[in-house]
Amino acid sequence: MTPPVAPALAPSGPRDQTGRRYEADPGSAPVLGHVHHVMGTVVSFDVRVGDVEPKAAMVALSRACARLDRADAVFSTWKPNSPMSRIRRGEVALRDAPPEVGRVLELCALARELSAGWFDPWQMPGGVDPTGLVKGWAADEALSVLREAGVRAAMVGAGGDLATFGSPEPGGAWRIGVRDPWAGDRVACVLESPGAVATSGCYERGDHVIDPRTGRPGTRFASATVTGPELWLADALATGLLVAGEEGLAFIDALDGYEAFVISETGSTARTARLPIVS
Amino acid sequence: MRRAPIVVAATAAGLAGVLGFHTQQQSLLSGLSTGGTTTTTSGGGTTSTTAPAGSGGSTSTTAPGSTSTSTPATTTTTTPTGTQTAIGADVQYRYGELELKVTATGGKITSVQPVIDTAYDARSFQVNSYAEPQLLSQTLQAQSANINGVSGATYTSQAYVQSLQAALDKLGIK
Repeated sequence: MTPPVAPALAPSGPRDQTGRRYEADPGSAPVLGHVHHVMGTVVSFDVRVGDVEPKAAMVALSRACARLDRADAVFSTWKPNSPMSRIRRGEVALRDAPPEVGRVLELCALARELSAGWFDPWQMPGGVDPTGLVKGWAADEALSVLREAGVRAAMVGAGGDLATFGSPEPGGAWRIGVRDPWAGDRVACVLESPGAVATSGCYERGDHVIDPRTGRPGTRFASATVTGPELWLADALATGLLVAGEEGLAFIDALDGYEAFVISETGSTARTARLPIVS
Repeated sequence: MRRAPIVVAATAAGLAGVLGFHTQQQSLLSGLSTGGTTTTTSGGGTTSTTAPAGSGGSTSTTAPGSTSTSTPATTTTTTPTGTQTAIGADVQYRYGELELKVTATGGKITSVQPVIDTAYDARSFQVNSYAEPQLLSQTLQAQSANINGVSGATYTSQAYVQSLQAALDKLGIK
């Protein structure tokens, strides 16, 4: 057994409350990293602690994880007794469900409208299924917990979709690579996150995105990426764009603050005019 | 389903910086209830993961999306030349199982290779054939391109990170 290794994290100040000395990390903020298994995926956290007490940042991180767990408990369609599953079976009325169910279904309706119907939780097999929006929404919620705790910057990655706030380095945005659909060791481009970057693709698990107009799997791009201020909408729009094809770029272009980058099955790319692309 | 070693020319510090998975928060978080938290005990060589109860299909033994890691019967070995090797956590993820061996010389990673790399079905194997080793390459590219994250990377790459981090912890590489 090797002796315990000194912590890599260096929260503000040379010593924490227990008097332990941290390694100085000049030029970059202390980083708190964490992974949380929830909602059938892995959610990762990258928190730039800033001037907040380290313990407060960790408590906020714990609360952010609890927020994700709560979302999973309420919305999981895998859990037969979750409120969402009971609503889908008609056992519970919406007014008797937890309040966030109504809120999320409102967001689903908004996303359906803004995507010209290409994202439509009401056209999923087995009844209304907000799963395609819940993950992004929950990541937004988790991020807001960290923001309210006063940390300098944070990124929440929910199964390949990212929600961010603040600057990881002074004056710099969160820089997000978009995975190359065919070569996992490459990124197709690098974007500056305006708050959310979501990528939908079928390269890892085959055709899993349902075309709401046919009710069957159908994708028209190798991958579709949407950037914008909030992940719940960016994620839903990316899903809709994947099945909408070229015409989907128009509904994204029409939305203030939201931009898109798509890679076709032949490898050609297209983007909306104001995409925050840096390379 | 073994694969040729992936030779890595990165400094350990840079790698850990990009991965950003540190262990410090665990001591404080351990007293708080956060179901499904990955717990890594640095230096002790043990890694355990608790999946949130019932986080998936109620009839399956492995909940979709949850991963479980067993404590590997592993050692950190050091050769006279100062080369160290460590085997990371055996990570069972939704579509397979992955365990990595990391070799470092003078505190710098020189290779990462899978010890266990099994996919539960043919489709997953096809996916794994490029999705696993890529994350480290992605990490390297992220250093050169100064990227904070990658959009569109999911299950397999997360298992890769998890096993890799456990191995790095054993080597005391941060």
